[in-house]
Amino acid sequence: MDDRRVNWLCRVVAGLVIIFLVAPLAVIVIASFTPTALITFPPQGFSLKWYANVFQGSTHFMEGLANSLKLGLIATGIDVFLGVFAALSVCRYDFKGKNALLNYFTSPMYVPSVAFAFVLLQVYSQIGGVPGMARLLIGHLVIILPYIVRNTVSVLHVFNWTLEDAATSLGAGPAQVFFRITLPLAKPGVLAGALLAFLYSFDEVALSSLLSTPRFVTLPIRIMNYMELTFDPTLAAISTLLIVASLVLILLMERFVGLDMFVK
Amino acid sequence: MATLELKGLTKRFGAFTAVDGMDLLVAQGEMIALLGGSGCGKTTTLRMIAGFTEPSEGTILVDGTDVGRIPPYKRNIGIFFQNYALFPHMTVFENVAFGLKLQKCPKGEISRRVEEILTLVKLTGLDRRYPRELSGGQQQRVALARALVTRPSILLLDEPLSNLDAKLRLEMQVEIKRIQRELGITTIIVTHDHEEAVSLADRVIVMNEGRILQIGTPQEIFDRPASPFVADFMGFSTFLHGRAGGPPREGKRPILCGERTLWVAQAAAEELGSDEECLLAIRSENMALAGEPGENVFPGRVESMTYKGHTTRLEVSGCFDEPVFPALREIPGSKEGDEVLVHFPCQKICVYKAENN
Repeated sequence: MDDRRVNWLCRVVAGLVIIFLVAPLAVIVIASFTPTALITFPPQGFSLKWYANVFQGSTHFMEGLANSLKLGLIATGIDVFLGVFAALSVCRYDFKGKNALLNYFTSPMYVPSVAFAFVLLQVYSQIGGVPGMARLLIGHLVIILPYIVRNTVSVLHVFNWTLEDAATSLGAGPAQVFFRITLPLAKPGVLAGALLAFLYSFDEVALSSLLSTPRFVTLPIRIMNYMELTFDPTLAAISTLLIVASLVLILLMERFVGLDMFVK
Repeated sequence: MATLELKGLTKRFGAFTAVDGMDLLVAQGEMIALLGGSGCGKTTTLRMIAGFTEPSEGTILVDGTDVGRIPPYKRNIGIFFQNYALFPHMTVFENVAFGLKLQKCPKGEISRRVEEILTLVKLTGLDRRYPRELSGGQQQRVALARALVTRPSILLLDEPLSNLDAKLRLEMQVEIKRIQRELGITTIIVTHDHEEAVSLADRVIVMNEGRILQIGTPQEIFDRPASPFVADFMGFSTFLHGRAGGPPREGKRPILCGERTLWVAQAAAEELGSDEECLLAIRSENMALAGEPGENVFPGRVESMTYKGHTTRLEVSGCFDEPVFPALREIPGSKEGDEVLVHFPCQKICVYKAENN
């Protein structure tokens, strides 16, 4: 085949992939404006009433959102602290088994979260009386850590450690070296990792559905529960809101860090 | 502005000894070059002086005070790194001001001193640029300015000229010397390049396998290497095996190289017993083509010619068992395969006992 035809074929395939990815989302977004009680496509008329419904106390969506944000932010915050130091220790020092240690830090990525949730459930029932927030927080701390470690490692892997020596020779103590040189230069990786970790926590269903208690329900679990009882366009409306929120977050990241961090 | 003394400085990594009992005294304001190949221990020595590596044995004295227990960030030693190690997220000004800010200098004094040092390294007007926006030579000047602005007691330069092209090298060589003189700062250069060492330093220290092989002025090291190893490292190209023969005559001694007799300065062959095996070394530029036969003139055949710009390097066989490599300033009329006469000036030949080899 000549180059022109390959080029043409590539475009068609790329186009199909994009349609495959975007079409369902587009359907949801458009359908969310329907005034009918059932999701219909194309929508008959235009209404924002399902959006209003999202914010109504009876749906408990806002309560779930608050829980999810709280959980995601706290888990990400703690894990940034742990993950950055884990990544530093693996990258800066040369020691036996450092690769094994790195794999260990990132292993929660490969362990099925259902299996992990089951183990945690056993532990909680042994202890008894673990509050809902803590039940989820402990689980999320483990499963989102790999994203922060991996993204920080990808930056530190190519880090010029002589910069630390240079700062030291100019009179910077270990803490000053870390906060003025190492951390600012590792920031893109740390931020990218933190964003991915937060989004993962925010979106997590499998582990949360097993560990959550009726008194502490995250947004995805709330949406799932809602779906089981009612199947109205409120779901399309909240999905649309979440899509928009993700887009804004990604755009902000692109602005401050650059998206190429995520491709690594 | 300080003296530096190393006493029995030793560093072992497991079974490997990187630096082996090094003794050295550097005078105030002196510029010293540690010269040696990779793995000779020069970089480890530098890191020990800076405080990044802890010595296994021995002491480091700055102005007579043992600095062994002082952490690297309190030693006040300026370091110029081979890859410059400029902070990429800071401007030129911020890079240079980094050390002063840590010293809690008042703002006015910081900007005054940064400006002063940038003037000294001829980099005014670039203080808002980031390192990536500068040329290699400019980055190097920033690195030098950053190392100097805190007025360190000792300056360490790690391969300061190695990343530069020929023209810039010459320029920076002059600059570094000028700045060092102007500030009178005790300086240690680490390098594997003998030209860099002899062009910058007051004294050159040749190292191999963690030991000092020779300490001397650039002239001494360049003209009279203490051993064949040093000679080889200093760019001596031609080495001849011989044997001492006959009594001295007119301050010269005959050395038998195969069937030929080469006369060397008696002073250079003082340690040689009669009939003792020896090794002769001579620098390429010190050999020349001769018009007619005479003392230390031998015929040979040109095997190859390499044009090197300001010199032409020949490989000539047949003078001795070993080939010789004269470098000529003028392009000779002869071509490959021609018979030529090569002159070996007797004052320029270095003589070593064979067992030193």
